[in-house]
Amino acid sequence: MSIALFSSPPATHLPSPSSPHSTAKTQLALRHFISWRPKKQPPFWVFAENGAGSTSTAAIVEEDKAAAAEEKVSEDKKEESLGSNGSVAVDAAAAPAPVTAFQDPRWIGGTWDLTQFQKDGKTDWDAVIDAEARRRKWLQDNPESSNNDNPIVFDTSIIPWWAWIKRYHLPEAELLNGRAAMIGFFMAYVVDSLTGVGLVDQMGNFFCKTLLFVAVVGVLVIRKNEDIETVKKLLEESTFYDKQWQATWQDETSSSSMKD
Amino acid sequence: MASIALNLKTFVGLRPASPENNPITTLAKPSSTTTAARKQLRINAAKTSPKVTGRNLRVAVVGGGPAGGSAAETLAKGGIETFLIERKLDNCKPCGGAIPLCMVGEFDLPLDIIDRRVTKMKMISPSNVAVDIGQTLKPHEYIGMVRREVLDAYLRDRAATAGATVINGLFLKMEMPSSKTAPYCLHYTDYKAKTRVSGEKKTLEVDAVIGADGANSRIAKSINAGDYEYAIAFQERVKIPDEKMKYYEDLAEMYVGDDVSPDFYGWVFPKCDHVAIGTGTVTHKPDIKKFQLATRLRARDKIAGGKIIRVEAHPIPEHPRPRRLLDRAALVGDAAGYVTKCSGEGIYFAAKSGRMCAEAIVEGSENGKRMVEEGDLRKYLEKWDKTYWPTYKVLDVLQKLFYRSNPAREAFVEMCADEYVQKMTFDSYLYKKVAPGNPIEDLKLAVNTIGSLVRANALRREMDKLSV
Repeated sequence: MSIALFSSPPATHLPSPSSPHSTAKTQLALRHFISWRPKKQPPFWVFAENGAGSTSTAAIVEEDKAAAAEEKVSEDKKEESLGSNGSVAVDAAAAPAPVTAFQDPRWIGGTWDLTQFQKDGKTDWDAVIDAEARRRKWLQDNPESSNNDNPIVFDTSIIPWWAWIKRYHLPEAELLNGRAAMIGFFMAYVVDSLTGVGLVDQMGNFFCKTLLFVAVVGVLVIRKNEDIETVKKLLEESTFYDKQWQATWQDETSSSSMKD
Repeated sequence: MASIALNLKTFVGLRPASPENNPITTLAKPSSTTTAARKQLRINAAKTSPKVTGRNLRVAVVGGGPAGGSAAETLAKGGIETFLIERKLDNCKPCGGAIPLCMVGEFDLPLDIIDRRVTKMKMISPSNVAVDIGQTLKPHEYIGMVRREVLDAYLRDRAATAGATVINGLFLKMEMPSSKTAPYCLHYTDYKAKTRVSGEKKTLEVDAVIGADGANSRIAKSINAGDYEYAIAFQERVKIPDEKMKYYEDLAEMYVGDDVSPDFYGWVFPKCDHVAIGTGTVTHKPDIKKFQLATRLRARDKIAGGKIIRVEAHPIPEHPRPRRLLDRAALVGDAAGYVTKCSGEGIYFAAKSGRMCAEAIVEGSENGKRMVEEGDLRKYLEKWDKTYWPTYKVLDVLQKLFYRSNPAREAFVEMCADEYVQKMTFDSYLYKKVAPGNPIEDLKLAVNTIGSLVRANALRREMDKLSV
């Protein structure tokens, strides 16, 4: 049965919406090799999140494959329980097509072709970042095999540091500075109304300087309510391993008292 | 009586002298003033231990893996009457099988034990960015891949040649001694005795016990050592066609990603004539088969046409047991939980801890002339913690930092492309010393690490925006 299934030519990387069945069948053969357990195989990589045409087609193909695979798997289990520990020979000529590999006209040779990202004569780094995010999202939902013939050599460090700062750091910096300024103004007003000490004189006081420091650190570290718990857990986590190693030494005090 | 009082004192003396890495230990007794007297007391302890008359000290090593084999050899060479109890002499252990270069030298391993020398590694990120590492290795440096049954048998045979008695039997239970000089009574089923098919129940009386019986140690249960968290490592041995095997001639692969493992990595390691493909996890053990499928998917093109010849799984301890020592019974190797985080390496540490514990017993008993006591075995724990604590801690930090999430793993793989990182990693791995390194390069490395992490996390935020 396996040999007949490989009549379809080894697929290229293009998605083949016109022939979902042949792709499904080649995938079945792959399943024959891979899955030998009766447990249901949840189609855990099927997401229909963005409306991109190729994605939804791939989703359909995946679902077909997974559903068909479940019936196939129960047959396989019977076959293999006769044979030895799951050893199934797969036709060596088989090059089962990847479901649908990541496709993008700007993704060439395992990296982004920067010449296609030109805008006004300069590289549009924001578009590069978007494209890479899309690629990673695709791979997260549809993990692909790593192939030596098409190695991926993209390195995020080719995107210059100022592009990252402009896009991610600056908006957040604006937000945090805004918060700090609001807190600062409010506290300055409150302290002034309570004690009569003006802003310049407040800065000379040690206690006020401490409060200022605490406020700045607080704004930096605590961005959401959950961050308080996160910081506490981080502190505990960093010393947990040490405690586990020292457990045997703590034990010494109890064992010595028990000894005699 | 006087000796017992002196022994008590050495106990007390040991506590404040414990290495600086346990600030949490509450010191009930001060005594930082009598360091000289304490040192003297420590040496005197062995000298005032009751002499073992008419015979040498008897020690049983339960478990005949790398830890047990090297412990038994060191004990036998030190003149101690050694009994090595192993239940399956041809046990083919499921194991990655990687040993660092220093192990070959330190344990005088013959070179034909090593099936393959891995000199290249490929790290593959969640988005399939592949980075080759190993260019910084010198021609004589490699990671040795061994078959456990070959290595274990070699170490056991060497112990037997040195004078240890190898017993093919299954350890059942151990009776604790009634006093400081009374023996431990071990109950075991001897398989060699041909009287019954299922083996004959026998007992063995020894003065000290080394528990080298692995992750599910029974000795650990007998001394109430406590439990540890463990990872499940699942592995399939696959025989792939020769042309594909050539690619793995001296190359091992590591796959990271949430699909492959949420807190560990998937691997393809070359063995003698096949490859081992596996993955592991601590937190999501029921999903291990799913992770294995994902690992096979990622390596699909490279293992296409392969036949699964064996499926195996084993537990990997994540941290040491709360108690590694009680009276004159000590744990070594996986039984004690000496597997590193991040890489999950255990063979070298098992053998080394077995050797260290045996050395402590030999020294404390003056080559078998005197009875040992808990203080002598504690010295092995002290030495172990002091020598290898930095290694373990660094690997723990690396695991917490880089195996946390997909962005962290992407950053990890990006960092591995850096030559300095490769050099430091291999130096520490091959020679088991946390290499100091160049401060300027370290600074650059820190900056690059932060940069990679920031970029990867920024991309993740973009990815999250896409899914909404």
